[in-house]
Amino acid sequence: MDITGALSADHLKFLADGFWLTLYVAFISIVLSFIIGILLGTLRYAKIPVVSKVVAVLVETIRNMPLLLIIFFTFFALPEVGIKLSVTVAAISALTVFESAMLAEIVRGGLNSVDKGQIEAARSSGLTYIQTLRTIVMPQALRRMVPPIVSQFISLLKDTSLCVIVALPELMHNAQIIYAQNVNYIIPVFIVVALMYFIVNYCLSLIARRLESRQA
Amino acid sequence: MFKSKASKITGILLLSASMLLSACGKSDKETSGTAAKNALEQIKEKDKIVVGVKYDTRLFGLKNPSSGEVEGFDIDISKELAKDILGDEKKIEFKEVTSKTRIPMLNNGDIDMIVATMTISEERKKEVDFSDVYFQAGQSLLVKKGSPIKGLEDLKKGTKVLAVKGSTSAVNIREKAPETTVLEFENYTEAFTALKSGQGDALTTDDSILYGMVDQDSNYELVGGTFTDEPYGIAVKKGNKELVDAINSALKKMKDSGKYDEIKNKWIKSN
Repeated sequence: MDITGALSADHLKFLADGFWLTLYVAFISIVLSFIIGILLGTLRYAKIPVVSKVVAVLVETIRNMPLLLIIFFTFFALPEVGIKLSVTVAAISALTVFESAMLAEIVRGGLNSVDKGQIEAARSSGLTYIQTLRTIVMPQALRRMVPPIVSQFISLLKDTSLCVIVALPELMHNAQIIYAQNVNYIIPVFIVVALMYFIVNYCLSLIARRLESRQA
Repeated sequence: MFKSKASKITGILLLSASMLLSACGKSDKETSGTAAKNALEQIKEKDKIVVGVKYDTRLFGLKNPSSGEVEGFDIDISKELAKDILGDEKKIEFKEVTSKTRIPMLNNGDIDMIVATMTISEERKKEVDFSDVYFQAGQSLLVKKGSPIKGLEDLKKGTKVLAVKGSTSAVNIREKAPETTVLEFENYTEAFTALKSGQGDALTTDDSILYGMVDQDSNYELVGGTFTDEPYGIAVKKGNKELVDAINSALKKMKDSGKYDEIKNKWIKSN
């Protein structure tokens, strides 16, 4: 083990560069998949003829595939049909597609958990279906969805490390380059990387706990 | 009922797929206009060579976190190629490839050539065109000093050999020592760390890379000599004879002028 060599200022900066990209990719994927997830989850919940079925098939297909396969797909298969994405865009697309499907199920579960009697009451008091969803069901469902959504975001942030297979220069990738310089660097580098992930993810958990307690 | 719904769904899927394809068809035509020019002309036109190299392989292509530059034998050879073809070693851009991504990236047009410890093999010749051999490696075994393994014949049932995914050495070792268990890792450092932590009895890959490991930890040694020929070649997209010729002529000039030996001695110490 060579702690001082492994954790020189240059190496720490290189790790920070990687971590910055990790956060960037994760943040964009989180925002996109949150929007798409809510949309897909609501569409599936609403039982619109054909549309809900199509969404169900899509969500189930993607949800039951390993993320690694989707990353391979966006990076290797899409160029075959003429869609060329940079490695960062390919990574963001893969993560967004996968996480949207996961979030869609969380959203649907949250919507389902709202008592059906309330919907009937709202409808009979003259609200349209859309109004009922927006003002009665959604606010209650979103509150219940916060904990599972945050834990999904935490796993998304960790899942970015899978993109190392297509050489996205994120945190794990840069860690690998540092310990490729010298095999004695491997353990100190792993410890620092673990700390970096932990700090950010723990902050996310704390935020989630805050949100929960505020609603209770 | 179910049938009609299912057909609706497939209908929508087919429709969106055909839209996707027609959208791509357009860009295909656009690119085919430039593809009429051969790869060498394209390089000259943009006045830059994009080379796919490893970023994580000591001695051949390793990114230096301090300077941000990639360094190694493959890098220096690539710079010489740029100097010969475009007249300036700075007219070059390096892109990171791994053993898995290099051929798809070449065929997508992300890179013009691969200079990344790539062994010339019949299998790969079906997918890409290779230059002449620019480095001659041979597969060998790395063990802890004092290990009972002295060569290929000691790899029996129950011994564990560590290798790297996507490399020819993993394929070769299965052929030469069919009874041994082969464990494949993502990269050379991880394989070497696994050897050091006792997860395997020997590590196999090209001798040039193994010497780089001995350089880091002298408790390990190479045994049994080399048992394969691993001729490294520079790969270009299939059907680009002009570019292959230009590379070969540059390599020949490097060898004649002594520049090649200079680069080789700078990186590859033992033999």
